[in-house]
Amino acid sequence: MKNRIKVERAELDMTQADLADKIGVSRQSINAIEKGKFVPSAVLALKIARLFKKPVEEIFSLEDQD
Amino acid sequence: MKASYLLPYKYKALGWILFVFGLISGGIVVFGGYDFDILKVNVISIYDEGGFLGGTKGFFNIIENSILDELAALSIIVGGLLVGFTKEKVEDEFIYKLRNDSLVWAIIFNYLVLAFTVIFVYEFSFFHVLVFNMFTPLLFFVIRFNFLKFKSDNDEE
Repeated sequence: MKNRIKVERAELDMTQADLADKIGVSRQSINAIEKGKFVPSAVLALKIARLFKKPVEEIFSLEDQD
Repeated sequence: MKASYLLPYKYKALGWILFVFGLISGGIVVFGGYDFDILKVNVISIYDEGGFLGGTKGFFNIIENSILDELAALSIIVGGLLVGFTKEKVEDEFIYKLRNDSLVWAIIFNYLVLAFTVIFVYEFSFFHVLVFNMFTPLLFFVIRFNFLKFKSDNDEE
């Protein structure tokens, strides 16, 4: 699963730590998600999408191997 | 994130103190040959089959025993459990996954090492393997978990 968190973050001028604080997770989690090393739960994906005020599909999308 | 059997973060420091104290005193016990006269107290022995280490054969005897090794073992167990199974400062699903992955890794690694020693270590030396193996699953888990946390900490953007 790939995601556009880094891009969305850049548009709002947020750091990983800012985003992590707002959602209530660790900075390492955001980093791991952005790098594609960790697939977040549906709950966490929805929280991230809500923060960026976009539908979850716009931020997260499936890849061929999923 | 549901993680109900994890204890609060505040116990982690205590866990580290006990764990390190246990490992050091445990090392002293092992390398000192298990034979110490300090901290001798009367303890209840539920069952003793006698044998080559001496002792009184039978059930529920009161015996005199140096409890240094018992204290060391309990420190490692309690300390290790606290270090491994208290919440992180920010506990979330990623940390939870790291913890689970570390547990799986530690169990597999521990039994690979044990299998190796079963094949290549014999006689009384295997006794040391048995002693170490009481604590290595916990030790490998704690090391692996903290290594993964450290790695993701330093894995910058």
